[in-house]
Amino acid sequence: MTTLLTTREPHLDPPRTSRQEPGIPFSRLLRVEWGKATDTRAARWLILTIAATTTGLMLAPLLATTSIDQTQTGYLSFAALALTVLLPVVSILTLTSEWSQRTVLATFTQEPRRARVITAKVSVSLILAALGSAFAGLITAAAVLLAELSGRDIASDMSTSKVIGFALFVLLNVLMGVAFGALLHNTAAAIVLFFALPAAFTAASAALNSIGQWIDPSRTLGWVLQADWAGHLPQILTATTIWLTAPLAAGLTRTIRREIK
Amino acid sequence: MITADSLSKSYGATTVVRDVSFRCDPGTITGFLGPNGAGKSTTLRMITGLTHPDAGTATVAGRPFAELPNPLRVAGTLLDASAMHSGRTGRSTLRIAARMAALPDGRVEQVLTTVGLAGAAADRRVGNYSLGMRQRLGIGQALLGDPRVLILDEPANGLDPEGIAWMRTLLRDFADRGGTVLLSSHLLSEVQATVDHLVVIADGTVVAAGPLDALLASTALLIRSPEPESLHRMLEGAGIPFGVNTDQSVTVDTSSGDVDARRIAHLAVDARVLVTELRAADSGGLEQLFFSLTAGDTPLAAHSQEAA
Repeated sequence: MTTLLTTREPHLDPPRTSRQEPGIPFSRLLRVEWGKATDTRAARWLILTIAATTTGLMLAPLLATTSIDQTQTGYLSFAALALTVLLPVVSILTLTSEWSQRTVLATFTQEPRRARVITAKVSVSLILAALGSAFAGLITAAAVLLAELSGRDIASDMSTSKVIGFALFVLLNVLMGVAFGALLHNTAAAIVLFFALPAAFTAASAALNSIGQWIDPSRTLGWVLQADWAGHLPQILTATTIWLTAPLAAGLTRTIRREIK
Repeated sequence: MITADSLSKSYGATTVVRDVSFRCDPGTITGFLGPNGAGKSTTLRMITGLTHPDAGTATVAGRPFAELPNPLRVAGTLLDASAMHSGRTGRSTLRIAARMAALPDGRVEQVLTTVGLAGAAADRRVGNYSLGMRQRLGIGQALLGDPRVLILDEPANGLDPEGIAWMRTLLRDFADRGGTVLLSSHLLSEVQATVDHLVVIADGTVVAAGPLDALLASTALLIRSPEPESLHRMLEGAGIPFGVNTDQSVTVDTSSGDVDARRIAHLAVDARVLVTELRAADSGGLEQLFFSLTAGDTPLAAHSQEAA
């Protein structure tokens, strides 16, 4: 009752909208952010490129029959390649393009609860990751089928654990892009650092082997892709905290506090 | 209604907005006036929750902006017409806002017509829009949710005279239906015929606020004489500060109340100075008022220091 009384300030304005206006439901925010992530020419080309590259990369195991393992996971790892390189760029763009185009000015006056907007954007990236994984799975299945139809024998080494590992691998890569975008608010900086920093750590961690396995995202994500959990879970969690959770949390805080000009 | 209560904002050692308070009532159009860098945009951003004030509070329709459940339905904002995604068309820009506020697509078409962007213009990418077209689109976005409050930062910027006249009619109609409008400008002439209230800001501080008529009526007298030197000597002798206009006429500040036309007439008779014009300063004087309020080194201030 008290809240009802305090929110009903003396109404000096005309009673046109005196009825309590409901807030913006999350499902609506999600739909709006999905639209923003996919409705520009740049985003459409990028998504089309990812689909084309994923499909095109299937030619590698199909044609290089001797140098590439003719196994189901061998095929799948090629499908993962394009996804993990390009899909995070889409995620970065969903988080940064509003800052570079300065549409945050409109977005955050349409929904001032900035954390909800960011949550919607992160959710869009999760959906993109899920769709991307499913697409890669389909393309892999098609390529494997094609190989078998041409009389080749593809080793059946797929398991639930491998599928989960693959989906998680794509997801973590995408979320890492999200985290970089959320923190840096600048497309160029986020893309460059997203690729350069892990690479630098991989190079550095070769020198410091024992510490390296805790902080090198390439190595830990490799374990995830191969579903090689045994004995690696603490390292995977540590690297994920450093490269994903921490920047994402910092980015969320920065977005909420940042002055929007 | 919009209220600003003791808003202050500093960046490092620079205070950009200092203790700014004002209020805009339903049915009025308030012009938020000041030179570039006076703190107008910062104040508007604090009112709309985009900048966190160091001190003070602001409300829109009775609540802090950030607590409005669906702001588009309550307060339409246009804070920077150039802050639009250049890759989207005008129509898709409005559709995003419409989806956010749960408005039907029909409302988008309606607004596109209202702001004069229906037809081929709606399907052009915003990157190819002129500034005037972006302003129209921005005003459209602000109007989309049929709000009762409009907050517009430099909306006349980039509009041609016809566009300014259009905006004037639009805002007047909005206010007459009980809406509250707050719009900023650095050019008095641009908004003079649109607004009915003024809040003038200079160096981050409100230097004048009130109904346009009251602010204009009481402030200045225009005196013209074919013998300007004698006129200047007469005013200096009486200790009355004055400003010299480019056409050699003289403006005297009457806001203190101890100078009026009658006193000037008496002085002129006593000093035998021929005066050919003595009247309340009109819009030219209003410009003078604006400059005298917003800049410290106008002729008015300079002369009063000389006289002192």
